[in-house]
Amino acid sequence: MLTIKNLSKTYANGVQALKDVSLDIPRGLFGLLGPNGAGKSTLMRTIATLQDADSGSIDFGGIDVLSNKDALRRTLGYLPQDFGVYPKVSAEELLEHFAVLKGLVDRKERKASVEALLRQTNLWDVRKRKLGTYSGGMRQRFGIAQALLGNPRLVIVDEPTAGLDPEERNRFLNLLAEIGEQVVVILSTHIVEDVTDLCPRMAMICQGNLLLSGKPSDAIEALHARVWRARIRKAELADYQARYTVLQSRLVGGEPVIHVFSETQPEGGFQLVEPDLEDVYFLKLRQHRAAA
Amino acid sequence: MFWEFFRFELRFQLRSPLLWIFTGLFALLAGTALATDAVTVGSAIGNVNRNAPAVVLNFLAVFSILGLLVVVSFVASGLLRDHELGTAELFFASPMNKRDFLFGRMAGGLCASLVVFLGIALAMSLAQFWPGLDPERIGPYPWRAYLYGLGVIVLPDLLFIGGVLGVLAATTRTLLGTYVGVIAFFTLWTIATALSRDLESVMTAVMVDPFGGRALSRAMRYWSAAERNTQIPDLYGYVLANRALWTAVAIGLYVATYALFKPMRTGTASAKPVKGRVAEPQPHAVAAAVAGPPSELVLPGVSPRHDRGAARAQFRHLLGFETRAVLSGIPFRIMLAFGMMNLGFGAVLSDILFGTKVLPVTHLMLDAIRGSFTFMLWVILVFYAGELIFRERSAKLSEVTDALPVPNWVPLAAKFGALLSVIVCFLAVGALTTIGVQLARGYYAIEALVYVKNLALDAWLYTLIAAFAFAVQVFCNQRFLGYAIVVGVLLLQALLPAMHLEHNLYSYASAPEAPYSDMNGFGHFLTGWSWFMAYWSAAALALLALAAAFWVRGSDPARRERLAAARARLRGPAGLAFATATVAFVALGAWIYYNTTMLNEFLPSNVALDRQARYERDYRQYAALPQPRITHVRADVDLHPHERRAEIRGTYHLVNKSSEPIREFHVLLPRLVQIESLEFGPHRLKQEDLEIGYRIYELDQPMAPGAELDFAFKLRFEARGFTNDRGQTQLLDNGTFFNSRQAFPSLGYQERFEIEDRNERRKRDLGEPRRMPKLEDEAARANTYVGNDADWIDFETTVSTVPDQIALAPGVLQREWSENGRRYFHYRMDRPMLPMWAYLSADWQVRKDRWNDVAIEIYYDAKHPANVERMVQGVKDTLAYTEANFTPYQHKEVRIVEFPRYASFAQSFAGTFPYSESIGFIADLRDPDAIDYVYYVIAHETAHQWWAHQVIGANVQGATVMSESLSQYTAQMVMEHEYGPGKMRRFLKYELDRYLSSRGGELLEELPLYRVENQPYIHYRKGSMVFYRLKDEIGEAPLNRALKRYLEDKGYQQPPYTTSKELLEYIRAETPADKQDLVTDLFEKITFYDNRITEASAVKRDDGRYDVTLKLHLDKRYADGKGVETPAALGEPIEIGVFARKPGAKESEETVLLLEKRALAERDMSVTVTVDAEPYEAGVDPYNKLIDRVSADNRKRVTLK
Repeated sequence: MLTIKNLSKTYANGVQALKDVSLDIPRGLFGLLGPNGAGKSTLMRTIATLQDADSGSIDFGGIDVLSNKDALRRTLGYLPQDFGVYPKVSAEELLEHFAVLKGLVDRKERKASVEALLRQTNLWDVRKRKLGTYSGGMRQRFGIAQALLGNPRLVIVDEPTAGLDPEERNRFLNLLAEIGEQVVVILSTHIVEDVTDLCPRMAMICQGNLLLSGKPSDAIEALHARVWRARIRKAELADYQARYTVLQSRLVGGEPVIHVFSETQPEGGFQLVEPDLEDVYFLKLRQHRAAA
Repeated sequence: MFWEFFRFELRFQLRSPLLWIFTGLFALLAGTALATDAVTVGSAIGNVNRNAPAVVLNFLAVFSILGLLVVVSFVASGLLRDHELGTAELFFASPMNKRDFLFGRMAGGLCASLVVFLGIALAMSLAQFWPGLDPERIGPYPWRAYLYGLGVIVLPDLLFIGGVLGVLAATTRTLLGTYVGVIAFFTLWTIATALSRDLESVMTAVMVDPFGGRALSRAMRYWSAAERNTQIPDLYGYVLANRALWTAVAIGLYVATYALFKPMRTGTASAKPVKGRVAEPQPHAVAAAVAGPPSELVLPGVSPRHDRGAARAQFRHLLGFETRAVLSGIPFRIMLAFGMMNLGFGAVLSDILFGTKVLPVTHLMLDAIRGSFTFMLWVILVFYAGELIFRERSAKLSEVTDALPVPNWVPLAAKFGALLSVIVCFLAVGALTTIGVQLARGYYAIEALVYVKNLALDAWLYTLIAAFAFAVQVFCNQRFLGYAIVVGVLLLQALLPAMHLEHNLYSYASAPEAPYSDMNGFGHFLTGWSWFMAYWSAAALALLALAAAFWVRGSDPARRERLAAARARLRGPAGLAFATATVAFVALGAWIYYNTTMLNEFLPSNVALDRQARYERDYRQYAALPQPRITHVRADVDLHPHERRAEIRGTYHLVNKSSEPIREFHVLLPRLVQIESLEFGPHRLKQEDLEIGYRIYELDQPMAPGAELDFAFKLRFEARGFTNDRGQTQLLDNGTFFNSRQAFPSLGYQERFEIEDRNERRKRDLGEPRRMPKLEDEAARANTYVGNDADWIDFETTVSTVPDQIALAPGVLQREWSENGRRYFHYRMDRPMLPMWAYLSADWQVRKDRWNDVAIEIYYDAKHPANVERMVQGVKDTLAYTEANFTPYQHKEVRIVEFPRYASFAQSFAGTFPYSESIGFIADLRDPDAIDYVYYVIAHETAHQWWAHQVIGANVQGATVMSESLSQYTAQMVMEHEYGPGKMRRFLKYELDRYLSSRGGELLEELPLYRVENQPYIHYRKGSMVFYRLKDEIGEAPLNRALKRYLEDKGYQQPPYTTSKELLEYIRAETPADKQDLVTDLFEKITFYDNRITEASAVKRDDGRYDVTLKLHLDKRYADGKGVETPAALGEPIEIGVFARKPGAKESEETVLLLEKRALAERDMSVTVTVDAEPYEAGVDPYNKLIDRVSADNRKRVTLK
């Protein structure tokens, strides 16, 4: 559906946000994973017509996105990373407003659509409230409601779960999964779990480079029998980090447990574990940083 | 702790851009105003040094009021920031001390505010070193004035405002509430100022002004230029009292702030209901919904439209959305309410002359709307332009909206439309407010159409400003930079005239004024105005088209990308619009250029002055050259008012009254008048200076002494195309009025065209201003002071005009007829008259009356019948008084003729008085207590028929005593007989006040009355005082006897003409010996009194009468021309009086218990008198007949013991 070819972008301050990125994104939920500042938002905004690339092309179902922005905007739903609202305006009113701007100029159709979205996002009961009084989760749900106005074929959500409590986050991701059954949904996040749980396909980028793309399960499969775990003492952590490719280290009961990437058992006390996406993620980051 | 809060606050404020924006703006304003006249702060600098201490103090005082706005931002924000930002709990939960927090923050905010004033003072200090300033007008650096201004005015004002804000912040606890409070305070202050500006209650007026500006101006009120240049007021009297009072109030306010301030979270004290709030969903219900199984996502099918129709629907919707957002915003409503209040009071208190109101006619109401809205609306438009364009971005919503499928023009047009709604809203509210004022004042002639037309013109101008501010915001893409650029450009434009860049072609949204007159509507002004506005509208459209091209969509693009996007968009409709608008702009500009500089002459003021200077340099040499004198004038004048054209065919009969042959005629004509032909004996044109209008003709045969000849001329006086300014306002569609000097040739060099302004003369090396010939100059007595090319003339004219108008000129109407579809009037003056005449034509109503065999005719506009009867009465009473006391009236008619308000004066020609629509026809005389100045001005102009038109002074010092001062005297007598002496006191008080305050502005030299050199404050204001006093001392009958003999002896005389010295001889002949010194004091010296009553007490006697004791302080001084005073001997008889008044009665209802003259020879003394009833007031010179420096302390309430 969405084909990105050789996309590059360098900002005026010299930061190279995208380096020759090429991606193929089919229908369904697509996870875009990367640390803060990896270029995720640049990529998202470029797809969402808010920014131009220096070179490369984006094609969505036959629309040349970079030269025909309006055509893409007609099929786009976009929830930016850090989005605000007019605090003095009610949710219903603002949603109606966006609906008109999305081309829902027929009043009846618009009303029905707004109502359905408010119900779907569970905001119907609070639709008359000023947006300024909304909690973070409510606001985020409002955001997705506005993104879904006009039944878009391409939905882009940038870091939508940041700051949500677990319940809200769940609810939100379920909603995304629903949408993903029908259209292309790009979900950008730095939370690996979101991708593992939801996305049939994914990509990882870091410092503007595409590190990996494909099915999460394939990527995990590739690490099979190469990730080892050991419980160590705190004082030894630096030593291990120097000697091995340490993927993760987390405290369990106050003592570090580390995952190490290795073809063979590094030493006694290390046990083979089933890799997860997080291991993949950290391995790719390590490898990229080592290369850079 | 205090210091920590203080330091933190100060650092915080010093880092806020707002502080520096304010400082920069105010400093720019102050510096520019000091260096140039392009910007004025308070009143204009006038003729004192540009950096005079008085100017410095005035500026600082005005800025300390303007600074109110600044202090709000700094002080209130210090107290309320934590509430707004939600950091309040961090502070209030800490073990801080409330006092330290409160006063530390406030002190920090006040210090930050002080920075603004230091910036202003610095800018003013630097401005005096601005290159190109006239060094003569820069005094030594007035450091004492800066210290005084900052210490005595600014600092206490800041403290006071800080206190007000503290209380407001502590009680309302929101920034908005504080703003509302400040606006309420400001409005109350304006009202108090307006209500207390009556002259009678100086002390109250001075004390109620918390900013001390009034005390300051009181203290410097009568200062001469020399004093203003060197002195600062003592910290004493009004100033000290005012400062002490308000500093004490300020301290009280701080105490109150401390008591009221609660270091607690907002909302803990009281609950405020939220409108339209729906029930909160129950927490468990939410949880259930959230945790429930994911429901099937079913959305109804939609069919979004993206065609043109959809875009239009989106535009309509967005326009409504943005407009609602602006208009329902609280800041907007506050500003609107503020504007409304300000306007209401401006309109109620509009235009007062001698304490008398004018009727709230529509054009005055429109002026009030402009006066109170223009600046405010500009600021609001500039502000909302930024607000609207950055609305999504400030709400962090732009990424959503920018990705919506909306064409660029939709938000652009909708936001611009919302900006225009601000204009419409303001103007509509303005109109409704002023209509309310009109109705409230019992004025029911509401002219809705006039409102609509005028406000439509205003709205056009505001739209241009809005477009500019809007486009700049789009281009800059940084809000504050955008504000700075817009304000900077508008300020720079205001400075252009000071640099003599006066053409409207390069000053955005500038056009010649289009004043509205009841008589003439918009007249011809609308044509020029419309072309200029069309020109600037094309510019605005081009800017908006460019703005569409540069419209930012998406996250901040680099310049390169914006340019690329703009280039791409300019290939579309935006480019077409831009190209069309640019072509229109250029074409209109060319058309305007053709009209204003080729059809007409464009004369920047400095070029016009240079030309005047050249006139003097080139032709002054001919000033003494003998020229023939005009003895008869015959003229046929065809007026074409609708085409603004006049054809003049005239003949002067000339006589060589000199003793030598005349070889050359020097003919001077106004530049706008063209000669079609000139015929007078054989001659040749020796020199023609078209730029100045000076022509020298050499006669083939010199004109021998005593010889006579006819000088025939054919002239055209017309308006062509339109001009860059108002153009000439003599030939008008309805209300044509021009006089002989404006359209007829003069003979010989005319001094009146020389530059009078001392500074402009200096710049052009013309030396000091030329003064009137000395009283002793016998040669100068060959001419009257009104002209040098004629004595008394015979006058006859035929004037024609369009059929719906009447045409007037001096003289008795001989015949009126119609011919060729035009109306003709033939006038002939039945006796010789002064060589000044005028033509008028308009569609008037005529009120006719008679007094004995004199016809009285009032020619007035149909809209202005209000005061016509008063005018008739004024003429009748004046004729009755003058014929009884002086000589007979010389003409058969008195005509009072209304002309449009482009000028506001009344002028007396022989038997005909043009009278501006703005000064009498619309006076509101319904209050019986008010001074009837319509009546007064009519009496004055009628009196000129004796004083000028029968006896006229020679062209030497003192000439205007015989015309203006004696007309003032006559008018006063007529008024006194009609209204009684009680009202004269108020009238004289105004005259005295204006005399005293104007003499401070004297540039050259103040002269005694009998040597006055056409100085209005002397011959009108002091003249009134002097003659009234003289009449009071020697009696009305003897004075009038003297004047009558003078008229009989000197009336219609031939040269040498009479002088004030001769007048004084007649007066002295009727003056008893003991008053001769008084005549000297009044006429030949500059004499001041400073009499006051310091204590008045009374004791009731056994016989029921009262002994009243007056403690007096008396002083009398002589001043020289520069204001240096020497003490004079006391002892002349001065009036003392005791008055009774019923409780609650006004001064006009008082009864006189005692009024007698006493010769009081000591400076401080006490007088006891006995009166029959309970005294209310007592005083020395209680009717203010003397020229007393402080007239308010002449009376005092009597305390009963």
